[in-house]
Amino acid sequence: MDSPPFLRMSGVRKRYGGVTALDGADFEADAGTVHAVLGPNGSGKSTLLKVLTGVVGPDAGEVRLRGEPLRPRGPRDTLAAGVASVYQELSLVEDFTVLDNLLLGVEPTRFGLRDRRAATARALPWLERFAPAFGGRVPVRERVGDLDPGERQVVEVCKALVRDPQVLVLDEATASLRRGQVEVLFEVVTDLRERGVLVLFITHRLAEIFSVCDRATVMRNGTDVATVTVADTPERELVELMSGQPQARSSAAPARQAALRTAPDTAGAAAPAVGADPSAPPRLEVRELTGDRLDGVSLHVRAGEVLGLGGLQGQGQSELMAALFGSGRRTGGTVLLNGAPVRPRSPKQAVRAGFCYVPGNRGGQGLALGRPILENFALPSVGRRAALGVALSRRREVAAARSVAERINTRYGSLDDPVSTLSGGNQQKIVVGKWFPTEPSVVLMDDPAKGIDVGAKAEMFEVVAELAASGAAVIVGSSDDRELVEVCDRVLVMFEGRVVDEVFGDRLTEDTLIASAMHITGADVAAAHSGDAAAELPEPDHDPEARAPGPDHGPEEGGA
Amino acid sequence: MNLLRSPGTADLPSPVRSVLSVRMPTVAVGLLLLVTVVASAVLQPGFFSPYGLSASFATFLPLATIAAAQTIIVLGGGIDLSIGTVVTLSSAVSVVLMQGDDGRLPLALAAGLATGAACGLFNGLVVAVLRLQPIVATFATSSVFGGLALLVLPTPGGQAAPVLTGTYRMVLLLYVPIPAILLLALFLGWRLLRGTRFGQHLYAVGGNADAAYTSAVPVSAVRVLSYTLGGLVAALAGVALLADAGAGDPTLGTQLTLGSIAALVIGGTRLRGGSGGVGGALVGAVVLSLIQGLVFFAGVPTNAREFVYGCIIIAAIALAGLLTNRNGSAAGTTGGNR
Repeated sequence: MDSPPFLRMSGVRKRYGGVTALDGADFEADAGTVHAVLGPNGSGKSTLLKVLTGVVGPDAGEVRLRGEPLRPRGPRDTLAAGVASVYQELSLVEDFTVLDNLLLGVEPTRFGLRDRRAATARALPWLERFAPAFGGRVPVRERVGDLDPGERQVVEVCKALVRDPQVLVLDEATASLRRGQVEVLFEVVTDLRERGVLVLFITHRLAEIFSVCDRATVMRNGTDVATVTVADTPERELVELMSGQPQARSSAAPARQAALRTAPDTAGAAAPAVGADPSAPPRLEVRELTGDRLDGVSLHVRAGEVLGLGGLQGQGQSELMAALFGSGRRTGGTVLLNGAPVRPRSPKQAVRAGFCYVPGNRGGQGLALGRPILENFALPSVGRRAALGVALSRRREVAAARSVAERINTRYGSLDDPVSTLSGGNQQKIVVGKWFPTEPSVVLMDDPAKGIDVGAKAEMFEVVAELAASGAAVIVGSSDDRELVEVCDRVLVMFEGRVVDEVFGDRLTEDTLIASAMHITGADVAAAHSGDAAAELPEPDHDPEARAPGPDHGPEEGGA
Repeated sequence: MNLLRSPGTADLPSPVRSVLSVRMPTVAVGLLLLVTVVASAVLQPGFFSPYGLSASFATFLPLATIAAAQTIIVLGGGIDLSIGTVVTLSSAVSVVLMQGDDGRLPLALAAGLATGAACGLFNGLVVAVLRLQPIVATFATSSVFGGLALLVLPTPGGQAAPVLTGTYRMVLLLYVPIPAILLLALFLGWRLLRGTRFGQHLYAVGGNADAAYTSAVPVSAVRVLSYTLGGLVAALAGVALLADAGAGDPTLGTQLTLGSIAALVIGGTRLRGGSGGVGGALVGAVVLSLIQGLVFFAGVPTNAREFVYGCIIIAAIALAGLLTNRNGSAAGTTGGNR
């Protein structure tokens, strides 16, 4: 090998509890390039760059910058090595002015005191450069908390630039920017490339990759799949690299695959069987709903139907459910429940109207972990059984809880045991099952299977099917495309606060969902798959039997 | 993504919001100061006489200094429930070493200050390195320091050096008592600290510790230093207390702690950290002391004094809070997930 690459990461592994985020990823990039890192949700691209910036410590692997090993103990070390990162939101102090934020941690001093003049001299050129992104002004002394989200993101970019980085990491930095702001950013990125800076770029907008990136590394299931030159790679080939082959994915871990197979059998059997009568009037209809991160969402769900909300993470799925459940902001649009407009202003009103909500982090929002199973079952419906609105009969509570537990097939020792004594899967069943007695019209589930194992997941989705069978309309948001394919009758793909695609029937496959999430038209994908179905992957090693379990290709796992 | 957050807060135009958020604490505490000073001038005979001023500032200074110490810690996102016992422990150490002898004054003062700084360092290490909850950790160290104070000085007593008490009562240029000058010096010292990198990092750590960390601010070091400085300043308050009373008292702890927190809240410092300042806390402490004096001079019966005093403090904190919390509520929902 001749001269070492400017940046090389090799064999990087990282596990979070039971979830493998990075599974022996390798990555190389050269100075003076703009290098995109691509991949579907949970492919490990963000984790890879967080390892580089020192926010996440890897379990194994090595990072070399200019041939020198980089073992950061935190962002301080990486910044000193010339790596600066633009974070999506976490690195600004809202109470500080723009100037103070830009120089936080690198304040110039004179006689031991902060030197405002030197600070301004250092920050002002960047702010002036980005003035068009601030609507033509240079907000040196404005409080960051008073800026809008797009402007804060621009401040975040300037903050990284003030540190004169050799490597600039842009992790979804364009997500909250307006078109004009993105243009300014890309001009600057082009300048930086001229000056020999390596720019690493994560984005969910594929078009941006083609307009600014030189190279692209595609990640999938925690490893790097391929690195390509963007100019020589057609869009559809990139999409294909990202989606991969479903067979190749699961066959790497036969045991897990077996577990997975149970999911479509059990959950899938019930949900479409009940099937929503297409002629029936919709149970829930949403028209042009706007609010936080929602830009005119329209949808309808019928009784007995399981509707998925897919797309990349953070495209408004959670906000949509929050708006429906009365805990998020709604600025416009109509919501019709059984044909009548509803506008719950709090979760309590939403529950009364017939909504129920199943969150992803069951400890935080779905369960009182330390309290007995009985109480957790009873909580949402307790008002219905209380005589005169206050008096509770223990016998009636126990009977109600028993009937639900039986219905959702939960195993427990005693109803008086704390919920925390149950397995994750059984806990998750209670999160869902406790809503049965309220006979909900609409069930909202926001990433309900986040962080639980496959078996528990399958069991929980049985309960979802049961709810749908009992006549509820179910909306499931998930960042796991496989899960959506398994449990949903129909999936709406969201992108930047709008529904951009509707996928059902034969089109409802992981590939379609990934392509659709990247905002590629269906025709492109069809072309990609019909054109070279046999040679989906450029690398010859996707036959799992022939593959040695090297550091690059360990067992794969879905979401991070 | 937190689904169950409160519905969006009102979208005020940004200039209006910044005026409400930045200026209001200053306006509120200024208003309170004006009201209490006018009331004191009316009710308290000779309030503006040299003797009256000297007596007033002599009582302001200890509380103001403790409030300043607490503010440094609170700004950095901590809180120190042991600060009152740090004051009593360091003043107990000083007075025991002093034994009413002017010659031993420098040694005794140095030992007192070192004690305070050491207590603060200990708190800082417990909070920043062992990562215990500040409110619980300092509640525990409060007993430790309070217990030590009782071992050093079992009963109120001891004798301060005459030079110390004498100087403390001096009035310069007919109208300027020494404690007033010390109060000003305390404020200037704070402004100097605020101008350093550490001053800036203190606000950053209190305002958004994650942001500070990713910006290469040494978060743990800033926390430890904020507690250490707080302990040192608390020891200065111990010296002031000693100079004012002429003797040590190991039992004052809790009362001083609560006073310091009340003073900084009245002065517009956000208890969650990252916003406010020592200036406000100093004025807050003065207001608090004046209210205490007012209750006495307004002829409130002895047994009812504590009750009336408490009610007025609640009113003062409510006033400061009503005018300050507007911006705090908005930021509070986003800062809760750390």
